[in-house]
Amino acid sequence: MSRLLALLLIVLLSAVPVCAAARLVSGVSNDTIQITSSFDGERLTFFGTIAPEAGSGQRYVEGPFDVVIVVLGPTQDRVAREKTHNFGIWLNTEQVEFKRFPSYFHVLSSRRLLEIADINLLNQNFILPEAHAMIPNIAGFMKTLVFGRELIRLMSEQGLFGVQENGVQFMSDTFYTAQLTLPSSAPPGPYIAQTYVFQNGQIIARKSEGFAVRKIAFERFLAQSATQYPLLYGIACVILALFTGWLGGVLFRR
Amino acid sequence: MQIYLPIAELSVNLFFLVGIGGAVGFLSGLFGVGGGFLLTPLLIFSGVPAPVAVASVTGQVVAASTSGALSHYRRGGIDLHLAMYLILSGILGAFGGVATFSVLRAAGQLDLVIAVGFVVLLGFVGILMLQEAVRALLKSRQGVVVRERLPNQHSWIHGLPWRVRFKKSRLYISVLPVLAIGLFIGFVGSLLGIGGGFVMVPALVYLLRVPGNVVIGTSLAQVVAMMAATTIMHAVQSQSVDILLAFCLMVGGTAGAQFGAAAGQHLRGEQLRGLLALLVLAVAIRFGLSLVLAPDDVFSMAVTSVVR
Repeated sequence: MSRLLALLLIVLLSAVPVCAAARLVSGVSNDTIQITSSFDGERLTFFGTIAPEAGSGQRYVEGPFDVVIVVLGPTQDRVAREKTHNFGIWLNTEQVEFKRFPSYFHVLSSRRLLEIADINLLNQNFILPEAHAMIPNIAGFMKTLVFGRELIRLMSEQGLFGVQENGVQFMSDTFYTAQLTLPSSAPPGPYIAQTYVFQNGQIIARKSEGFAVRKIAFERFLAQSATQYPLLYGIACVILALFTGWLGGVLFRR
Repeated sequence: MQIYLPIAELSVNLFFLVGIGGAVGFLSGLFGVGGGFLLTPLLIFSGVPAPVAVASVTGQVVAASTSGALSHYRRGGIDLHLAMYLILSGILGAFGGVATFSVLRAAGQLDLVIAVGFVVLLGFVGILMLQEAVRALLKSRQGVVVRERLPNQHSWIHGLPWRVRFKKSRLYISVLPVLAIGLFIGFVGSLLGIGGGFVMVPALVYLLRVPGNVVIGTSLAQVVAMMAATTIMHAVQSQSVDILLAFCLMVGGTAGAQFGAAAGQHLRGEQLRGLLALLVLAVAIRFGLSLVLAPDDVFSMAVTSVVR
């Protein structure tokens, strides 16, 4: 518990801007991404400008700045499992569960992350993918480390985790845009895009935007029926199957 | 053309789905089996999560078996009395299978049990079928008339108590082996996502001596009823039946099955059984290799909770 409090304190302290002379004005192209039957991923554009703090009397801000955008999907409990060779066959023997693990995590940055800021600062703010696997776990430190790294690798292979260190482009000294293609495997739910502005290795401004990925129309109807009226849904599946089978027999009868 | 599957939560090519449905439907029409034992592995290998694949194929098997069951019913090829016993015990077995399915899924051993189940079941049935088919082929080539065992030849099974008369099958046998077959197929079928026709037919023929004119129809009727019940159970228990996925497979499957049945008339019975045996063995070997060979990646992941 005390460790958790300490962690919280670090996060809170790091949230206090060192030089609060800038603010971020930003936006995202879509506030909802609709999953229809032809959904095959969607492209999002993030954009924003760095402006002087309101009321500070400053006319302009002085760069150079670095921008990092962290896109975080809904959390799920996930397990990583390892197969070992026993009695001549390969089977899952060890597993580590990661509670409330992000189902989607992508980082876009204007430069190499480690050039932008110190690794500790990045980890404290959960900007590096590894930070999500370093949360204390009942499995013990070493196992969590190994399985966490493998889980992040698996997620990256499926396109659910990723880091694009040239993903943010500056159009002028203070105006940036970034593009992200959300894959069709991105799970539906609430998403958060955290934008950080760095200067000289410190966070000087931050802002978060939310957007939702959700099923609409027919897809939504099906998914909702399956979870809310499972019995009726099952019966409907069977009736559909019986009807299709009967129709097939009638149509093709010779 | 991509189509988004709402329960599997991924998008798949529509023509691919209808295509594998059609190809498996063709084979199922050709050999007179449901085709679940081919479709479930194909879906798993193409990226559909195993629980969704198993549960949705269950729905497709219902459709694939319905037209066959109806045409057998019209010809009077179903022993309803016998089917009723098989269905009731099958549904009981399916309850056990679906419950085991959830437990194994949570423990991370579902894939292992599915693989071992396929190896043991398909390997065993495949070898038996191949033996029988090769023997029949060799004999017919030598010009020997194959004398099939007669239905009235008795075995120890016929000495069990609680005998019931099944009029249409012209049998007066104990209900115990009937219920045992139903239970076993219900359990295995719901666990592995297969209809179990290729286990049911030999069991009815060799263990119970059900005559050939009612065996296929009765087996099909049992598969329809049992898999319908299993679909509903999967929908309620794990909510992993993807109706869109199942429908795409059904459309391909029912069309393919008709062409398969037509093609099947050009082949002889022993040849068909031999080919089916090879196919069944191939699937068993594929699963066997996945157990024995070192995997590409020893690590895997799974979601253990719903999205919050």
